Parts: sequence; C-alpha cells; structure tokens
Amino acid sequence: MNIDIKGIVIICGNYGSGKTETAINLATTRKTDGIDVKIADLDLVNPYFRTREAKDSLEKMGIEVILPDKKYMHADLPILAPAVAGMIIQPSELTILDAGGDDVGVTVLAALEDHLSKKQVHMLQVINPFRPFTEDVKGCIEIKEEIEHSSKIKITGIISNANLIDETTPEHIYKGYNFIKDVSKATGLKIEFITAPSHLIPELKIDQFTCPVLEINRKLNLPWKKGLNT
Amino acid sequence: MAKVLMKGNEAIGEAAIRAGCKNYFAYPITPQSEVAEYLVKRMPEVGGVFLQGESEVAVGYMIFGAAGCGERVMTTSSSPGISLMSEALSYIAAAQCPAVFVNIVRGGPGLGGILPSQGDYFQATKGGGHGDYRLLVLAPDGVQEAVEMTMNAFTLAEKYRGPVMIMGDGLIGQMMEPVEFPDDLKTDPSNKDDWASNGMDTRNSKKRNLVRSLFLDPKELNDNNLALKAKYEQMKKEEVLFEGYNTDTDYNVLIVSYGTMSRVCKTSIDMMKEEGIEVGLLRPKTLFPFPEEAVFTAATKESCKSVISIEMSMGQMVEDVERCVKGQREINFYGECGGDIPTPEKIIEIIKGLL
Repeated sequence: MNIDIKGIVIICGNYGSGKTETAINLATTRKTDGIDVKIADLDLVNPYFRTREAKDSLEKMGIEVILPDKKYMHADLPILAPAVAGMIIQPSELTILDAGGDDVGVTVLAALEDHLSKKQVHMLQVINPFRPFTEDVKGCIEIKEEIEHSSKIKITGIISNANLIDETTPEHIYKGYNFIKDVSKATGLKIEFITAPSHLIPELKIDQFTCPVLEINRKLNLPWKKGLNT
Repeated sequence: MAKVLMKGNEAIGEAAIRAGCKNYFAYPITPQSEVAEYLVKRMPEVGGVFLQGESEVAVGYMIFGAAGCGERVMTTSSSPGISLMSEALSYIAAAQCPAVFVNIVRGGPGLGGILPSQGDYFQATKGGGHGDYRLLVLAPDGVQEAVEMTMNAFTLAEKYRGPVMIMGDGLIGQMMEPVEFPDDLKTDPSNKDDWASNGMDTRNSKKRNLVRSLFLDPKELNDNNLALKAKYEQMKKEEVLFEGYNTDTDYNVLIVSYGTMSRVCKTSIDMMKEEGIEVGLLRPKTLFPFPEEAVFTAATKESCKSVISIEMSMGQMVEDVERCVKGQREINFYGECGGDIPTPEKIIEIIKGLL
C-alpha cells in the first residue's frame, strides 16, 4: 500500500514526536514517486534539529526548501518567511509545512489563516507513544485539542511514528500501530500512515497493516553518528 | 520500567520529580526552556511548585530561600542566566544550603549564541560568584547519564550541604535518547533539623536555626571557610568520577574530553582503531572534583607520547589537564566554540597531526 497524499500537508504534534523526520522523509518518498514537492520549516520554537539541517540533501533531490533568511538561521526568533504564504497560494503537487511542537508551535498557522482557509489542508498529527504526554489516548486527544485551538485548524489525520531512535525494534512498530488504531477509534480520525526505520522494513509483516508505511532514513543525526554513516 | 524517548531537558525535569524535588524556580532561556515546559505540567501532578521568577537574579534567591528551609530545590538555566545567579550561588555556598543548579551551556561570552558550547567550564569549576567556594560539578555525556546525575545531585547536595551543578552543553538538553529511570529517591535530608530554618514547630529541637552568609567576626568567617574547605577536600577523596575508553591498549595519544564532545571523540577512536591507530580517552564525569590522579596515570602510561584536551571552548579544562600531568607529557589543545560541534573526521585529522 503506497502513500498517495497530495496537496497541502501540515505536520504537527507534540515536542519531539518526530515531526521533522516524518516531514523530510515524506518529502523524499513522494519526490521519488515523481511528484513535485515543496517543504517549509515553520518551527519557530525550537532552534535545534530542524528541517534546515537537511536543506542541502533535499535540494539536491530537487525539493524546494523554504527557510528563514540565512542570517537568521541560528536565531531563536519567530521569523516566518514571506515565501511561506506564497507556497500556500501557489502550492506544488505536494506542499509540506513542518510546524513546531505542541500548541505554541502551531500558533504561527493562525497567522496564515487567510491563505489556508481557502484551501483544502491535510492537518496531520504525529504520535510517538514512547514520548511523555502521548503514552495514552487521553494525552493524544489533549494535544490534538490544544493544537486545534492554537492553529484554528482541525486535525484531519494521524501518523504513528513509534520509535526509540536506535533502539527501535519491530515490537515498537507493532505496539505503535495498535496504539494509533485506538487513537483512531476514539477520535474518528483516519490513520494516514505509520513510519518504520528502513532497516526494520524487511523484518515487518507489512501486509498486516491496513495503512501505508513510510520508510524513515534518519536525516537529523547526532554529530558523533555522522562519521560512522559516511 | 520500560524505556521512553526523552529530550535531555525533559529527562532532567522528570529526574528532579523522581528525586522528590517539589520546588522548581526558573526563567526561560534557550536551550533549556523545555525543562520548565515539562515541569509546568508535571509539578502540579506531584503537589509541587514551578514558579517563574522575574529574572535569574530573583530565581537565585528563590532557590536560596527554599534551600534555607531545607526543601529540595532545583533551577535550570543557560550561561547568561547562570551568570545572573552567581551572586546567589556564592551566598548559598556560604550559608551551606543544598540546592541543584543545571546549566545547559550555550555559546558565549555575552549573549553569544544558542548552540552548544562548553565555554562555562571556568565559571562552573573555578568560581563564577565571589569568595572561597566550590561547586561540585557533574558533566553528563547523554540523556541517560543526565537523569542519573540529576537524581544523584540532590543526594550530593544534601550530603555536603551545598550547591551542586549539572553542566551539560546545549545538545545534552536538546537531543533525544531512550532513557530508563532508576527507582525514586525515597530519602529526606537526614540532618535538616540541625540547620534549616524550617519552623520551630516542625522539629523536636529547641535550637534556633539561622541561615546566613554574613560573618563579621573574623574568626567566625575563617571557621566557616575552613568548614567549606574541609568539604571540598572530602569531595576530592570521595566523589571523583571518570570513564576510560580504549585505555587498556598501548595508545600513543590520550584525549581528555567530556560531555557530548567526548562522544564525538569516541567515534573518532573507533574509526582510527579500524586503521590500526590506538588512541585512549579519559572522560571526566565530575569536573570538580577533577579526576587528577586518573588523568596523571593515563597520561604517563609508557606508550602515551602526547595528551590533548578537546573541548567546545577556547581552552579551559586544558589548564586542569596541564596541572595534573605536571609537565610529564606534551599537552595539546583543540577546540571550537561557535556552536558547530567538531566532526569525528576533524578530530582524526588533529590526532594524526600529533602522531
């Protein structure tokens, strides 16, 4: 089952749920499928581990990356590039907005309300049940409501990004899948896809999932892991 | 308990809760604001308090107040914020009150930048505030160690009745790693009735406890300083922590490095090993007390020709390394402090230049 999502996709969720890795990997996967992809870094909250770190490798693939001006790249200032509104007015086949964490991270979306309200938007909540505050359905719903309140946009779908980074096993993926089904049942939201690290894909019984699986190749690695990967 | 995926900042917050800390005062500053973000949700769940001060100066004295009452208390900040708290740190040390300070270090001096740095080594280990005091300084190299050190920091602060600092660079606060929490700390400060201003009706003793840092009588002031000095000497005997990596080989070069920088060094050591080059690493886990003997022993191993201190600073710990090696080996230094962490490849290039 392939991911066939198109249009404007906003990736949101709680701090550290894996929004940026999900957004970047969704961009590269869809680009490889042959569709046009743009991605914007809307994370105005956290200055570490943002889309901007993967800028070069994304651009090499022909994905347009929208970031604040270079001289503000390492500032913790709430800068929204004017180009972001432009990409909503004239979206490409897939336009990904990588939002910041929690309700504060999506506040910026309210500023884009004029532009977003005229479009159909996929607002996707990323959930990692191995993170604090989203280990139960109630926590996920609370975050969902806070995000919807701040962004003034309804969440339309959910993504399981169950992982413990390097220590992820197939059991974590299965647990995450069962958990996201519970969240889906409680909220009525569609499971858009689940994620799995690419090296685990061969070990997974993919056909037991009723939704697509997004392969994750980590782009935001810690400095001491970069050397061993190259 | 199963592992969870946590940011260093969140994990430090949770560790404080599990250590029984019910008082957390702070002022937001990148890259440590997630500690407050986390504790503002968690503290009410355990009947604790998070209060944001109007500045780090105010926070420093909130810590002094709570610590003086014998309450378990913590603050977290980043470099410029710690500078503002340094006056209170000196007062807390002088008044002998247990408190935990966390510095998630960003680039300096001045406002510097918000990326990781180790430029506060001098501030943490050699003073910061005024007078003859020392901080017991713990330097984690990852999220799991940050948890263990934070919980242990409360025990140490109470053992020595003084401030203890966790010093992690920005990456320690921001990165995520799977963590497991040890059992909750169940103890209370055992001797607090002997010194804390916790109210006469809460304790059996009729002795009046006064928490103070003013000693106008020269003998009294000297005695207080001697009491502090005795604690610091005891720390040097009992609290030194370090890790050796690849030190059981006949290495030609010894790296001394701590925190996340040491993890880059470990990757470099593994990569050089594949090329047949042996390099050892001595990682101080306590920056004060510094592992003096361990550094001397590792540096003066027969095979070791040269020693290098690698830091995310312009050369601070290297002065302690020089002091410990006592001229027995050539001491080198490499450091960067703009916020970009040196890559394993860069470290290899530097080490090869020493061979």
